[in-house]
Amino acid sequence: MRVSPIVALLAAASLTASAPVPYPVVRPGIALRFPRDHGAHPLFRTEWWYVTGWLRTVDGADLGFQVTFFRSRPPTDPANPSRFAAGQVLFAHAALSDPRIGWLLHGERSARAGFGLAGAGTTDADVTIRDWRLRRYADGHWATQVAAPDFALALNFAPTKPPLPQGQGGFSRKGPQPDAASYYYSVPHLKVAGTVRRGGTSVAVTGEAWLDREWSSNYLQGDAQGWDWTGLNFDDGSALMAFRIRRKAGGTLWAGGSFRRADGTTTVLAPGDIVFRPLARWRSPVTGAVYPVKQALSVRLPDGVRRWVLTPLFAAQELDARRSGLPVYWEGAVRTAGGRGYLELTGYDRALTM
Amino acid sequence: MRAEPGLWSGRLALGWLIAGEWRFHPARFLVTAVAIAVGVALGFAVHLVNGSALASFDSAVRGVNGSADLSVKATSRLGFDERLYPRVALAAGVAEASPVVQLEARIGTARVTLLGLDILRAAAVTPTLIGVRPRGSDADGAAVFDEASVFLSRAALERSGAKLGAVVTAAANGRAVPLRIAGTLPGVADGSAVAVIDIAAAQWRFDRIGRLDRIDVKVADRPAADAALARMMPGDAVISTAQAQSLQGDALSRAYRVNLDMLALVALLTGGFLVYSAQSLSVVRRQRAFALLRTLGMPRGGVVAAVVAEGVAIGVIGSGIGLSAGYGLAWAAVHWLGGDLGAGYFRGAGAGLVFQPWAAIGFFAIGLLAAIAGSAVPARLAARAAPAAALKNAGDVLDPRQRVAWWPAAGLLIAGGVVSLLPPVAHLPLFGFAGMALLLAGGIAGVPWFARALLAPLARGAIRTVPRQLAIRHLHGAPGEAATALCGIVASTALMIAMATMVTSFRGAVDDWLGQVLSADLYMRTNAGASFDPATRTRLAATPGVARMAFGRQLALTIAPDRPAIALVARPQRGVEDPQFVLIARADALPTGLTPIWVSEPAQRLYRWNPGEVIRLPIGGGTRFAVAGVWRDYARQGGAVLIDEADYQRLTGDTGRDEASATLLPGSDAAAVTQRLRARVSPMLRGQVDITQPAVLRRFALTLFDRSFAVTYLLEAIAILVGLAGVAATMSAQTLAREREFGMLRHLGLTRGQLGAMLATEGAIVGLTGALAGIGLGLVLAQVLIHVINPQSFNWTMDTRIPVGTLVAVAAALTGAAAVTAVLAGRRATSRSAVQSVREDW
Amino acid sequence: MADPSLLTVCALAKSVPGPRLLFGGLNLAVGAGEIVAITGESGVGKSTLLNILAGLDDADGGEVAIEGITFGGLDETARTRLRRERIGFVFQAFHILPYLTLQQNVALPLALVSPDAAAARVEAKAMLAAVGLGGRGEGYARDLSGGELQRVAIARALVHRPALILADEPTGNLDSETALRVLTLFADAARERGAAAVLVTHSDATAAIADRVLTLTTEGLVERAR
Repeated sequence: MRVSPIVALLAAASLTASAPVPYPVVRPGIALRFPRDHGAHPLFRTEWWYVTGWLRTVDGADLGFQVTFFRSRPPTDPANPSRFAAGQVLFAHAALSDPRIGWLLHGERSARAGFGLAGAGTTDADVTIRDWRLRRYADGHWATQVAAPDFALALNFAPTKPPLPQGQGGFSRKGPQPDAASYYYSVPHLKVAGTVRRGGTSVAVTGEAWLDREWSSNYLQGDAQGWDWTGLNFDDGSALMAFRIRRKAGGTLWAGGSFRRADGTTTVLAPGDIVFRPLARWRSPVTGAVYPVKQALSVRLPDGVRRWVLTPLFAAQELDARRSGLPVYWEGAVRTAGGRGYLELTGYDRALTM
Repeated sequence: MRAEPGLWSGRLALGWLIAGEWRFHPARFLVTAVAIAVGVALGFAVHLVNGSALASFDSAVRGVNGSADLSVKATSRLGFDERLYPRVALAAGVAEASPVVQLEARIGTARVTLLGLDILRAAAVTPTLIGVRPRGSDADGAAVFDEASVFLSRAALERSGAKLGAVVTAAANGRAVPLRIAGTLPGVADGSAVAVIDIAAAQWRFDRIGRLDRIDVKVADRPAADAALARMMPGDAVISTAQAQSLQGDALSRAYRVNLDMLALVALLTGGFLVYSAQSLSVVRRQRAFALLRTLGMPRGGVVAAVVAEGVAIGVIGSGIGLSAGYGLAWAAVHWLGGDLGAGYFRGAGAGLVFQPWAAIGFFAIGLLAAIAGSAVPARLAARAAPAAALKNAGDVLDPRQRVAWWPAAGLLIAGGVVSLLPPVAHLPLFGFAGMALLLAGGIAGVPWFARALLAPLARGAIRTVPRQLAIRHLHGAPGEAATALCGIVASTALMIAMATMVTSFRGAVDDWLGQVLSADLYMRTNAGASFDPATRTRLAATPGVARMAFGRQLALTIAPDRPAIALVARPQRGVEDPQFVLIARADALPTGLTPIWVSEPAQRLYRWNPGEVIRLPIGGGTRFAVAGVWRDYARQGGAVLIDEADYQRLTGDTGRDEASATLLPGSDAAAVTQRLRARVSPMLRGQVDITQPAVLRRFALTLFDRSFAVTYLLEAIAILVGLAGVAATMSAQTLAREREFGMLRHLGLTRGQLGAMLATEGAIVGLTGALAGIGLGLVLAQVLIHVINPQSFNWTMDTRIPVGTLVAVAAALTGAAAVTAVLAGRRATSRSAVQSVREDW
Repeated sequence: MADPSLLTVCALAKSVPGPRLLFGGLNLAVGAGEIVAITGESGVGKSTLLNILAGLDDADGGEVAIEGITFGGLDETARTRLRRERIGFVFQAFHILPYLTLQQNVALPLALVSPDAAAARVEAKAMLAAVGLGGRGEGYARDLSGGELQRVAIARALVHRPALILADEPTGNLDSETALRVLTLFADAARERGAAAVLVTHSDATAAIADRVLTLTTEGLVERAR
């Protein structure tokens, strides 16, 4: 899942743009090829590289982090010869969850691709915006460097498992309409090593992360209010991704996910296989939005229904980026029995326009 | 007060004295207070209006600049290479860099500054320039990078008359582009007409591919950024800050504003003279009262204290009234005339009046000071008189044989002449003004001598009628008294004549110059940045009826970020005689291998670019040029540089031209040729081309000139009115004070008619003397204005032209006014019975 | 006659530019309640003598002492203070300020010393009553006849209880009948307050009310036989 609200904003642009731009349609039946598909797919309207995970400092403190790069293709006229033409626009978000601070620290970057200041490579993952970067090296490991006003991250991610295509071999539906879909794969169980700098001091950290890669041209249906998403790395080597798209009128519009066991066998989850049930809510003092920050997740697997309770690292993991003219959402580190991961809650402040 | 025991303890008596005087002569106090009020009001109003204009200019600059920490700016509208942008963005100490395309554009008839921005960069550097859509930021995402959307500031929206959502046509750089108004710019200050579109759209639609006009920078480390950016500046860009911008606005109009302030102070000075003459007369009239009090035991300082206390009261009341009147005046001026008082310095910057407490305190103090000074001088003279003698004699102790000293006047005049020759201070002719003040003081000090010299032949000569003889003998015998009455007249006349002479000379020079430079038959010029491309030029030059056509390019060139841009004018110069440029100096020999340029007179004076020198201009990457000559230019105060068209094109690659002058074949009809020329311009360009005949241009230029001097005329007129009021007050007070003399004369057998004739003669002589002295002094002061103040403030020179008509009119008006006032006052003074007049105790 | 004298003049000499000697070796002593009239030809220096006595003019030689204090040792400020506190004046022209009320005119010598307006008003009112103008204190000079004006002047000269009253042709502007009444009033008031008075006049009628009549010559003052 993982549609950033920013990208949502840009995606909407095509609806009213003066010159319609032909975007490729996401269809089933493709085969993901690596490392090509780690790189950007510039013709699609939106795309993202989304890393979330848990870190442990050398003195044993738990931290959550999020590093996200978005690529967007606004509906501009391709005939514009200007080097400033906004054919490709890149955004990035980074956040750090520290229970001792009690709220999210975050920073962002954005730029039009070009002038050597920002860009996304197409042969392998390599996204840069000025001094921020996320890339994959030839030896297969990933690395990122981001610097926000309150913190900086320099992290290496070593894959321990192969990529996990979501949906039908990477074709992931987002609603009842067949063309509301994306190409989607995840890389769970990334082994993390690096440093977190806060103030003038750097701390070495290790941990485990989850990478989501998704690209699409047509996303949510008009009656969607927002979504709940989670990605969990279990200590036994299994991994779970589950999302549900909430209807504006209430209830679930669509749901999906997958469960991969340690041996690599994967169960693709259908809309009827997933139930999110709120257990505790937290009201943001800043925005007034009420988030179901603690949820019970029920998943029907071939061997029966399994239940996990998702407990947040702390409640106040709301990302309020309204200052930059963007919506509000909740992106938080959660733990559950035998595993840890991230929970994303959107559309609780107001309906997300898609 | 300790030094004068009894002065403080005697305050009750002093209070009675002042209160009694006020009760009996309220009009006198009122007139003097009003004189001060007029001066304070004018000064304060002019200062407020100027301050408000400057503030609104600042906010207009900020409106367009969006309050970046600093900006890299193109030196001309040709811009600079966009490849500078990534280097600036990654430079040490730079946190964010926002590239900007800036164009002067028109939406309908509204002039706006069109900015092409990258919203993602501008959001961090210049957030005030970010557009807001009507229903909130995420209601309509299309406009963010939409190449057909435009965001307008409130002023731009109002001036264009368009509504949100409407499609308007924006014309700039010779292109007309339809744009949909997607939202507003609430962060832009009121009064700034700004339109924002996407930077890529701006480059593409307005033919600016590859060029930028500005890079706004948010710095993380200022010294590091300054150093790093300075190293990478190309020849056609400079680093500018908001401070430098506002200095630029300040520099452009500073001389004008200082001159207006000075004029207002002149009015205040005249008011001070009026206080002086009124208080002098009042002191003379009360000499016996003061003498009595001195006899009864009032210390010498008591007289000074009483008169100065009156001065303080006059000053406080006058300044108080003046401040509120000044604020009202300023409000009215800004409301009706605009913030630049019609001078065109702050075009496009709407002004809101800003109250300035320090200026208010300052002008209050100046008004108070003028009133106190005007009172202290006569008070000291009165205190010096021996009480016993003063008790016996009233008024002026006349001694016709007494010589009048001429040397203080001569000394002051010489000092004034010398001081005014000193060089300017910070580009302001401060010594010029000081010299004028000294000359004025000298002229006034010389009035008694002048009056005596003028009257001596008359007094010696046999005069037939008794009234005239009496009149002349009275004036001849009491030159001090006459001088008191004359001070105000001479001061205000001199200043008015000086201004009138300067303006006449200036206007004449401009008129002559226009006649010389407007020698072609038709002039074409584009607006909104459109230009004639080479094909259009060939087509236009071949128009039937056109004998010769010369095309030119004119663009603003920033030499230093804190100084007004100069105009770079490209015209064919090689092998042609260009009548548009009247050379006033020429280099004898030029260094070989350098491109020649010709600088305008203001440019020469501002930048010390003298003929033969080698200078560097920020075009074509910073080229060196040789100054081949200096030409006369009254149009561009910031300076201008003329370059040959071919050289210009070689250096900049710019093939566009935006003005043309056409010489017609003999017998061609200008109107018909105008039509034909218009028909040969492409339809898109047609609406952006003005074709005018020289007579229209000339009329337009002179109208502009008159408008920019309108306030000067007004201030001058007010100064003269205050002066005339002073004459009237002084004449009538002096006449009334001589009531007993008139009673005695009527006892001796003079008829009322004869008395009237005597007074009319006296008044006329006083008026004429004042007018002659004022005109003489004014012509001297005009020389300072023409040869010192004008060149130092505006950097142009001219020859003196004397406004003979004005001089005659002023002399006649003053003579008449003084005579009429004297007669009217005399009628009142002689209305009581002669017996009663003589019997009167005081 | 009280002794010591309130006014003592010793060997006074004065010349005017010319030079012309006005008088020399002039001696005079006036006691409390004593009225001395000084007569003489026009231009003989009567007014100058009076000015010297008032400290308004300097003598070329000799000394003037009022209650034992000599002008010679005093600076301008001290002279002014002495004049203000110890001397009263009556002039030929009455010098009543037209823009002050009569009461204010009378109270001027008090107002020059103290800002206490109420006290000055009480004193001035009493003094006006004493010169027969009770109840007219709020009026102005233009309402009064010449004799009345001079009575106001007398009230002003006496209001601050001076030691010495100097009068220069006090009745010069008045008809003889009015003059006599005013003079009598002046003499009575001065005597009553124990002030010494010197009046300069060339009118015999005026001189008649004096205790002593002296004639000013270049040699000094010569007592005239009564």
